[in-house]
Amino acid sequence: MLRFTIRRLLQMIPTVIVVALLIFVIFSVVPGSFAASLIADGRADADPALLARLNREFGLDKPLYERFAQYLYDIARFDLGTSFRTRQPVVDLIEARIWASLKLAVAAMAFAAAFGVPLGFIAALRPGSLLDTSTMIGAVSGLSMPQFWLGLLLMYVFALQLGWLPSFGYGDGGLLHLILPAITLGLTPLALLARTTRAGVLDVLNADFIRTAHSKGMSNARVVRWHVARNALVLIVTTVGLQFGSLMGQAVVIEKLFSWPGIGSLLVDSVAVRDIPTVQGTILVIVLWFLCINTLIDLVYAAIDPRIKQG
Amino acid sequence: MYLRFNLVVGGLLTALVILGGVFAPWLTSRDPIMDADLMNAEIPPGAEFWFGTDTQGRDIFTRVLYGARVSLTVGVVSQGINSLIGLMLGISAGYWGGWWDDFVNGLTNVMLAIPSLIFALAVMAILGPGLSSLLIALGLTNWSWTCRIARSSTLSLKSLGYVQAAQTVGYGDIRIMASQLLPNMVGPILVMATLGIGSAVLSEAALSFLGLGIHPPTPSWGNMLTDARELIMIAPWATIFPGLAIFLTVLGFNLLGDGLRDVLDPHMRTRKV
Amino acid sequence: MLRALMLTGLLAAGTTAGALAQTPQRGGTLNFTAPYGTSFSTLDVHATPSVQDDIFASAIHRSLYRWDAARNEPVLELATEVNVSADGTVFTYKLRPNAVFHHGKPLTADDVIWTYQRVANPANAFPGARYLANIKGVAEYADGKATTISGLRKIDDHTLEITFVGPVNPGFTLMRGTLAIYPSDIGGTPEFATKPVGLGPFRFVEHVPGSQAVVERFDRYYKEGRPYLDRINLVIMGDASARDVAFRNREIDVSILGPAQYQAYLADPALKEHVLEVAEVFTRNIGFNLSYKPFTDRRVRQAINHAINSPLIIQRLARNKAYPATSWLPLSAPPFDKDAVPYAYDPAKARTLLAEAGYANGFEFEVNATPNESWGVPIVEAIIPMLAQVGIKVRPRPVESAVHAELVTKGEFQAYIWSNATGPDPLSALQCFYSKTPRTACNYTGFNNPEFDKLFEAAQAERDPAKQTDLLRQANNLIQQEAPVWFFNYNKAVMAYQPWLHGLQPNATEMALQNYEDLWIDSTAPASRR
Repeated sequence: MLRFTIRRLLQMIPTVIVVALLIFVIFSVVPGSFAASLIADGRADADPALLARLNREFGLDKPLYERFAQYLYDIARFDLGTSFRTRQPVVDLIEARIWASLKLAVAAMAFAAAFGVPLGFIAALRPGSLLDTSTMIGAVSGLSMPQFWLGLLLMYVFALQLGWLPSFGYGDGGLLHLILPAITLGLTPLALLARTTRAGVLDVLNADFIRTAHSKGMSNARVVRWHVARNALVLIVTTVGLQFGSLMGQAVVIEKLFSWPGIGSLLVDSVAVRDIPTVQGTILVIVLWFLCINTLIDLVYAAIDPRIKQG
Repeated sequence: MYLRFNLVVGGLLTALVILGGVFAPWLTSRDPIMDADLMNAEIPPGAEFWFGTDTQGRDIFTRVLYGARVSLTVGVVSQGINSLIGLMLGISAGYWGGWWDDFVNGLTNVMLAIPSLIFALAVMAILGPGLSSLLIALGLTNWSWTCRIARSSTLSLKSLGYVQAAQTVGYGDIRIMASQLLPNMVGPILVMATLGIGSAVLSEAALSFLGLGIHPPTPSWGNMLTDARELIMIAPWATIFPGLAIFLTVLGFNLLGDGLRDVLDPHMRTRKV
Repeated sequence: MLRALMLTGLLAAGTTAGALAQTPQRGGTLNFTAPYGTSFSTLDVHATPSVQDDIFASAIHRSLYRWDAARNEPVLELATEVNVSADGTVFTYKLRPNAVFHHGKPLTADDVIWTYQRVANPANAFPGARYLANIKGVAEYADGKATTISGLRKIDDHTLEITFVGPVNPGFTLMRGTLAIYPSDIGGTPEFATKPVGLGPFRFVEHVPGSQAVVERFDRYYKEGRPYLDRINLVIMGDASARDVAFRNREIDVSILGPAQYQAYLADPALKEHVLEVAEVFTRNIGFNLSYKPFTDRRVRQAINHAINSPLIIQRLARNKAYPATSWLPLSAPPFDKDAVPYAYDPAKARTLLAEAGYANGFEFEVNATPNESWGVPIVEAIIPMLAQVGIKVRPRPVESAVHAELVTKGEFQAYIWSNATGPDPLSALQCFYSKTPRTACNYTGFNNPEFDKLFEAAQAERDPAKQTDLLRQANNLIQQEAPVWFFNYNKAVMAYQPWLHGLQPNATEMALQNYEDLWIDSTAPASRR
């Protein structure tokens, strides 16, 4: 097991390096510059001397390979560089906002699991029924909804018209501000979980050993409780984990819409002003998060089902 | 019953959208860009303007119809590119194996690790806003799943002896890949492509919201939604109709894809349910 | 019409001033908003040109001069008097004896010198350096040829002498927030970046990145009895709709209104009484690349000005949150010619002019535009049908904000749409059309007109303010005739405020920048504010 763990962890490293290289190259060739973004709103006039000095300070006048080598070296020391915009270490910027993103991701996942799993479960117990059909149609609808349209509609109804919930921002970090963004973000995982749960439960229900248990005379309820739950659980946990891993990336639009101070909105804002170190740092963190969660899931899966380790 | 429902409803919705986009000039007499009169700004839906007007005084119904063209183009073309890349890489990886397979696998891992929206954002930042940039950005983003499926299909077909048989007869590599392997995976790839069209339409909306998608005055449902955001209190219809259009289109493709999958292979299971 | 607009603006300001006749009350907390972004990029105001950061910095810092909104000119702030030499280049300031930094150190001439040297230091690449360029010795210092700025001389602890390269009014540059005076003892330490200390009426308490900054009253502020407020929460809220909701919910005390909210608030009887308006010093325009063939002919440029129905666009898209532009300088500028008439909407005349210039069949051009709703793609969309009427095909070329300025300064455009600062100093505003000003500085259109150059140089050398204003007026009118841009509008800044807040000033340079020491709240404020 230990060898498997180490192998999986080591497999992450080349992926991270390639991602770093890819992002680095992409944002070296991107048009526009931080200096240009400073005068974009027309409040200050262009100052060529300032532009030149900024380029020198940011090291943008050095050749590409030299900058990339320096970048890799810095990453190895956990130094993500200094933000052009705030002149603070990128690590600090991310640290200040990552908890908000995590909070949102956890809340969205909790919402998705709390409603998605039971829905899928119930639908699987009565396949073909009206409940089943309507749940599955609802699930497909959830997957088809443009996220920020849903967010706008929810905001319009619950915040602007009914005034029950705040429409934006982090507030004091309380539950009220979390509700709308979490629901908007969690709808897609909810739909996916409902479908996955239903598929998983159906699969297991149709499997041979259930029929064997039936024939032995165990009561219906007992069968469900002991066998179905345990096997479907693996599938559900895997899906929850995978969704959780990719939520950080999906949260970008939601964070922008609800003015949620997470790293998704930090990423979008940094791209807009070409604050390259922050952009690179945030993407790296998001990717790392995804890879770590995936690796964790693989390890959990392998622990539960030893046959996986051979693969 | 559920199965047929998928195909029928999905097919109907998709057909509706395609017809609306194709026949837009006949379904409406107005031009989506030039027929803009500021005196007509923000009129609610009514007899003259079925979906109301937007902030420039343009008819929203007209723009939704022409927007279908943009969204369908984005969806179909980017999915086409996706499928092409995925098939080429996946089939060749499974066929040749060795270091090429390792390379493709590594590349796929990297692409799967970067969230697709963020990657598309980065590519759009380089290429600048616009339709062709969007097609390239989305085309480069989502080929990983297709690649995986193509690869595993190739591997299983290899193990069944298809490839060996064809090699014995003397077929060349490319011919084998094109004539023996490709036709056997049309089903799953088609399903992925159909589902992917819906996802591409959603991505266009998201990218337009972030300022990097199709820019006005060309009507796209994504940029119509973004423009309408400020007006949500004054003119909510400007938000409702484009969003509804996106929703129904994506729903249609998703249902169609689901239905196709159930028809082609009820036991098919992919990680992406 | 313009006169009426101006008077309305001034009247609105006057009404507020009238309300000020009540006695200010001490105490309470203010929830102010920073509306220009999603964060404060830095607490070191020297390092940033951004107004958003100035909103925070102006609470805890002070510069040598300050903008007086009521007098519409810069006034001395950290000095009690100034003596100007006969040739107008040497200014001797008597600094306030009772000015003290938040950590207890009194203000001395050393602090001013240290501050300006830090800002002008080439190793720092600070944006404020250019505002010090007219001080003697700064050029050599910036090139590394000198280790100090020769034009800054300390006479004694409270007397500072500054020598400029020519006769200027230094208030316009030295009033900038990015030139706030730092304490020379701790200004350069790393802690200062996260715990800044200044001369302002409030002292720094905390900063929650992406959310807000908090400041509280500084008891030893040099103005007796000020500030009135105990505490200010500077809440970062970049989204106009978010501010709208928060304001209506009484969670924030001020809100800069966008066009959509402006329309809604004026229509709402409960809100329209507490809306402060001012004509700001920004001119929105479409600049023409004067090397692009059709634009070389003045008649073409004038035709475009006649072909576009600016008042309609202002009424509909800008929802009356703008004043039609006559020429380059804004309404509040002294050289603004009140008798000048803006280009009338006259498509027939436009077609005649185009035919005369040889473009009876029209031509095509692209306008570089950002997504900005007030001066971006939506405006270009609106002029498409108008220009089509006279045969001109125009297309927006969408660019991101971070790319826009780059393309303009490189000259890679046929036309661009932008909002440019045209004040408060009219001389530096018109310098953008001086032929010796390069495109990379602010002569974006590449304007070159000998008659204008003569007027501008004469105004530069003129030391009598009245004569200088007259020369600039002539120059400004010439710009209108030559039409190097399409004159769109001057911004109307609008701030809604809660009825319990008093003391707001109609700041034409930037409405969101207020003198926090003059603000106070009365007893009708909700409990959360007291």
